[in-house]
Amino acid sequence: MSENSKNYKNPDGSNLTDSSSKIETKIEGNDNKKDVSTSIFKKRWKKFKTLKRGYYSFIIILILYALSFILPLLVNKDALIVQYEGDYYFPVFSYYAAEKFGQDIPGEANYRLLNEKFKNDDSDNWVLMPLYPYGPNQNLLDELEGSPPHPPSIGHICGTDDRARDVFARLLYGFNISLSFAILVTIVSYTIGTMVGSALGYYGGKVDIFGQRLIEIWATLPFLYTIIIVSSIVQPNFILLVFVLNLFWWIGITYYIRGEFYREKAREYVSAAVSMGAKNRTIILKHILPNSLTPIISFAPFAVVGGIASLVALDYLGFGLPPPTPSWGQLMNQGLSNINYWWLVTFPLIAMFLSLLSIVFIGEAVREAFDPKIYSRLR
Amino acid sequence: MTFYFIRRFLLIIPTFLGITILVFCILQIVPGGPLEMELMKLRGMGGTLPGGEVTSSTGGTTGTINIPESALEEMKKFYGFDLPIHLRYARWLGNLLTFNLGKSYVYAEPVWDVIKSRFPISIYFGLIGFTLTYLICVPLGVAKAVKNGSTFDFATSAIVFMGYAIPGWAFGGLMLTLLGGGSFWDVFPLGGFRSDDFEYLTFPEQVWDQFYHTILPVSAYLVNSFATLTILTKNSVIENLSQDYVKTAFAKGLSEKRVILGHVFRNSLIPLATGLGHALSLILAGSILIEVVFNINGMGLLGYKSILNRDYPVTMGILVISSLLMLTGNIISDIFYAIIDPRIRFK
Repeated sequence: MSENSKNYKNPDGSNLTDSSSKIETKIEGNDNKKDVSTSIFKKRWKKFKTLKRGYYSFIIILILYALSFILPLLVNKDALIVQYEGDYYFPVFSYYAAEKFGQDIPGEANYRLLNEKFKNDDSDNWVLMPLYPYGPNQNLLDELEGSPPHPPSIGHICGTDDRARDVFARLLYGFNISLSFAILVTIVSYTIGTMVGSALGYYGGKVDIFGQRLIEIWATLPFLYTIIIVSSIVQPNFILLVFVLNLFWWIGITYYIRGEFYREKAREYVSAAVSMGAKNRTIILKHILPNSLTPIISFAPFAVVGGIASLVALDYLGFGLPPPTPSWGQLMNQGLSNINYWWLVTFPLIAMFLSLLSIVFIGEAVREAFDPKIYSRLR
Repeated sequence: MTFYFIRRFLLIIPTFLGITILVFCILQIVPGGPLEMELMKLRGMGGTLPGGEVTSSTGGTTGTINIPESALEEMKKFYGFDLPIHLRYARWLGNLLTFNLGKSYVYAEPVWDVIKSRFPISIYFGLIGFTLTYLICVPLGVAKAVKNGSTFDFATSAIVFMGYAIPGWAFGGLMLTLLGGGSFWDVFPLGGFRSDDFEYLTFPEQVWDQFYHTILPVSAYLVNSFATLTILTKNSVIENLSQDYVKTAFAKGLSEKRVILGHVFRNSLIPLATGLGHALSLILAGSILIEVVFNINGMGLLGYKSILNRDYPVTMGILVISSLLMLTGNIISDIFYAIIDPRIRFK
């Protein structure tokens, strides 16, 4: 294939490198003198910060995601601290039977009831509950009237699901799981895709032709259909589902990386490295790779969006994470199987929508920061 | 060039074999297949074998029922587990060459007949959705590019972002909840292709009924590709607008309309051509998720149910059709490339 036809096949990528060098010099010329020495990444980060919508979305998502790791301290059925008969207990971290605090219910203590009891008793005992005192997997059948799912009420702002579990708590825990899942899928698929793509692009020739055929087989498999087939046979857990999704996701990255490697390989600095006797490994990892990461980094937030959307879709179809994992798609499945349970469709959808929207904003800003192309307006 | 495309078509064969071998092996090797499910059912309650022979009824104090060797053999034969796996694949492939996809376990009909009956339904929704998407997104993308940075561009970008953040099936689900007659408004039917009493309606009523059932699923299809297609068009047009030939066209005094429609537009269509070929499988095979949400009896729902029911002949049949569509779609994309941009030479 001639160089020309390759350019037409990938009109986006082909102009990237050419215009980038032009714009880079422009920026250096315009900015202060000390900026000349700052690294390209720092410049991009600076540009990213000026794109308010994306930057703030990034901060918000970062904070929410960090908070979601200490969710057991914020949204939980277990009390943070119990002071009972002069002793302190920390139920978040360990299990206490109900008898320990003088409750006559089987199994674990119910700290919400305990809280009320202590308040009414007028004793020195007290309970410190988390901000939102319901857990994602706790069955609230005993406390609520009527049959589940319960519509939203003051205590349960998003209602409960068909097993009387609090929807709001499940949504929050689902946020952590969805985002972790998507980030992990993105990282793994990028790693595999980059490795395969750089090998194909760097070595070229027979490796490339053979590899391309194999990739074509993978790429042609109907993605969702095959994943459903695999997950219907083996009940997937978190790691397995990451693996299954990655069976397909790495392919998209190889195209980009392969193209970049083909282009970069022909440049002078690579010839220089070769003539200095650098090993293939060094050339791939230290010389070419840093120069070819731009298109895939600016694509990463959108991969995360795709990861979350895929997880929700698989959970909706019943081929996702095993129960009782809190998941948005599973709630939507319940809601769509009975149209009257509107809160089981609407709230997970809002949660997904807001998360995806902010990540799309981030992605848009990253792309603008990384893409040096300046679009001219018509006239 | 003709030679190139002939070679591409021939390359379908090894790719196709690769795909089918892969999925065939997954289905056949992994436990929990139809044979085991049937055996479990029989052991659980006792029943009729596919051959028609009645097995030992309830009884054994041990709780398990011994299935006679001959019956087991017969069942293995019915589900096609009587040969080693490579011979099984060879048999399946041989049948495929005579257009025999086998017989569905669930529907007890030839697989091809089952699939054939679902085709028109998927095509109906897929084609309308596809046409509408292109009719809306391409002009919108062009308009956004021409007025890049204006209020119009900004306002429509908000819609595009939202479209990106909500998958089509989820949007459809939301619409069903809001407008399907649950807790809110009762405007649209709960899904399906037509009403049950469709045959008894008068013609205008039939048209109305069909229209009624079409709106929500088609809007879901629209949302599915709205954002990507609009942005793709916009970026492509913008890139062309900054080219030198546009300056030349303006310099020689052409009107803005002629520059955009006559010069820029055709060049901007090139990246869109890829989508056309890939749309083939969406149009013909439908979207699994949207068909499940709206309970539309098309190919997508058929495939989904066949997996749930371990109806392997149908599962494989749908795989065959969708991967063939995908492979030809890829080639069609490239042919479109060559038609739209005569400079492209495939070798």
